[in-house]
Amino acid sequence: MVFGALRVVCYVNQFFGQLGGEDKARVGPQVVDGAVGAARAVQQALGDAGSVVATVICGDNYAAEHAERATAEMVELVAAARPDLLVAGPAFLAGRYGVACGALCAAVQAELKIPAVTGMHAENPGVELYRRRVYVVQTGAEATRMLAEAQRLVALGLKLARGKAVGAPAADGYFARGVTRNVVADAPAAERAVAMLLDKLAGRAFASEVPRPAFPPVAAPRLVKTLEGATIALVTDGGLVPRGNPDGIEALNATRYGAYSIEGKSSLDAAQYDNPHRGYDTTWVKEDPHRLVPVDVARELEQSGAIGKLHETVYSTVGVATTLAQSARMGREIAEKLREAGVDAVILTST
Amino acid sequence: MRLELAWSDVDEVTAAAATRLAGRRLEVDLDGLRELLAADSRLATIRLELVHPGERCRIGRVFDVVAPRAKADGGEDFPGVLGAVARAGDGETLVLAGVAVVVTDQQTDNVGTLAVIDMAGPNAALSAFGRTHNLVISAWPSPGTERSDYLAAVRLAALRAAVHLARTARESKPDRVEVFELPPSPRVPPELAHVPRVAYVFQIHSHQRPTGLDEGILYGDPVRRMLPTIVHPNEVLDGAVLRGFMGRSVTTWATQNHPMIRALYAQHGRTLWFAGVVVTVAQATEPERVRSAFLTASLVAHTLGADGAVLTKIGGGAPHVDMAQAASQCEALGVKTTAIVEDMSTDGSAEGMLLFDFPGVDALVNVGSSQEPIILPAMDRVIGADDLAPKLLGETRATYGGLCGAIEQVGATRIMAEVR
Repeated sequence: MVFGALRVVCYVNQFFGQLGGEDKARVGPQVVDGAVGAARAVQQALGDAGSVVATVICGDNYAAEHAERATAEMVELVAAARPDLLVAGPAFLAGRYGVACGALCAAVQAELKIPAVTGMHAENPGVELYRRRVYVVQTGAEATRMLAEAQRLVALGLKLARGKAVGAPAADGYFARGVTRNVVADAPAAERAVAMLLDKLAGRAFASEVPRPAFPPVAAPRLVKTLEGATIALVTDGGLVPRGNPDGIEALNATRYGAYSIEGKSSLDAAQYDNPHRGYDTTWVKEDPHRLVPVDVARELEQSGAIGKLHETVYSTVGVATTLAQSARMGREIAEKLREAGVDAVILTST
Repeated sequence: MRLELAWSDVDEVTAAAATRLAGRRLEVDLDGLRELLAADSRLATIRLELVHPGERCRIGRVFDVVAPRAKADGGEDFPGVLGAVARAGDGETLVLAGVAVVVTDQQTDNVGTLAVIDMAGPNAALSAFGRTHNLVISAWPSPGTERSDYLAAVRLAALRAAVHLARTARESKPDRVEVFELPPSPRVPPELAHVPRVAYVFQIHSHQRPTGLDEGILYGDPVRRMLPTIVHPNEVLDGAVLRGFMGRSVTTWATQNHPMIRALYAQHGRTLWFAGVVVTVAQATEPERVRSAFLTASLVAHTLGADGAVLTKIGGGAPHVDMAQAASQCEALGVKTTAIVEDMSTDGSAEGMLLFDFPGVDALVNVGSSQEPIILPAMDRVIGADDLAPKLLGETRATYGGLCGAIEQVGATRIMAEVR
């Protein structure tokens, strides 16, 4: 956290660094003392709050074609200038430049622990790639209002460098990073809900306070074999575990799953199983585990030849308050194991 | 149905030799009240304490909060649980403003499910109970008292104390009288025929846990097999609905002062016509959820004839989806909906806020993330949680969900999760 005048480093491409146009796009990273080109707008926006001590310039093609190397080289140049803040761009609608700004900001934050801010147009590919990790201020498509845009980057950058609270995306002009934070609203939730309903009923615009989920619907794939020839596995997120919960699967927000053998078992003995799941009433599953994992019926189908074979391992986890990231990882790992074992289809029981 | 809440403002609560309301000062005979509560053989020891706004005190192990209320005319209080089963919602009810009865849970080892109340510091402002004078009841179970019996006993103690305190207002002239009067829903005067009819779908319980036999929720019924049904909003305001024993981010207090019913009453006859309340239960299995959702939508659309509905939930993830399924069925019948959700993300990512994505369920208000960490600053005194005092006295970390009254799922609170 810095209270006095800030040391600021700017990053600009060959064009905004006044090296030249496309003919200079292959130029590698270099550093110039003080503010050059677009960095002068940043200096003007800073006023007495700080000074641009160095400007890092890099050609767009170099940054795009040798992305990792370019970022690493620029991080070194930034580190050498010992700044309190990095201002990258703004890159407007320039795609290679935007991606490079995002990558450098992310690396400087992570490796040097120095706050960084950049700016782009909504359609710059750098926004989608980096907005979750980096504060990306929303700008126009072109550099027609450079000073005004630089002022908005600098305003947010000063808050970050001085450890001041950052406002909402709309208030501070940056792309939402997709993280949530509790704030105090103007009115109680009930009053907001009634007001929103009246807007919806009247056909007026309303702003839902929760974004629609981004995850796509997952269609069940077609079984390419007949059931008679297929190996079927039982998988559940309902929390069935052997007594003692040997894998320590969490009661909620799980990060672990278990693989439990049913070899030689025609049914599950309730006394040998338990259920740590905290999201539903497990009374009935504890009383009879087949209500969740139907080994008994599946064995009958196996014996009658209705299915080819029952896979001898049951996969189980606890699906409650589990993060999307953990769910996706566990699902991917279980699916890989099932595929390696030659399983054709899965009966997935959820609660 | 006409309910009159006769409010008496209280700005001082003191221990005294007799229980009475002297102007704005409530005097409580703690020994006498303790004796009254000790008649319940399920409770071995009872401790009563008074705490006041601004005191550097933290209440721990909080189980529920009850607003002091008593029928003025000798009617039944909390019918079906404390009083005999009788209709609530009509006549005069005495109410003390500025006082709450807080009851703690001294039995469970799973203290993570319990909450705290701060009487001073930044967190006091986040909860209604940081601003009330609180009578704190801590009771220890008699040997052999089962969990459900213990919780039924401590809740009954809180209800009994709430009635006992409110009865002190019998002889006083109320500071103000609030009238809740709603005609039978079809009888709309012609001059108001143009305003939209709005129903409230109130999920009063969740079957995520086994429900105790003594866990009275609707007129004392534990709603184990309840299908959606219609109640008059006054019944909710007047003690017919109590929170169950697993009260994640919901208090009985919030139900008694129901913010959604108040908000709809406030707009009734102006921008909307309050068509009625449907109470539902979050079901445990998919067929039950589907059945409950379409029955709810039918009551809202076909019986109440509503153009719009607001919905709230109780409990965690399954109730969240259950509510959304009901909203989706309402939308399918042409009823516009908004719903109040919690931010369900457990890692602070916006992509995890919602556990559903149904067509038309696109107007959502949120009451914040109960998982977000919050700092509890150091206090001078901890009450209600002797065993946890070493930890709760100093600065410690908790979550918004662990601060009683910071998040009320029925919409009483202003905390909201903002996407950043």
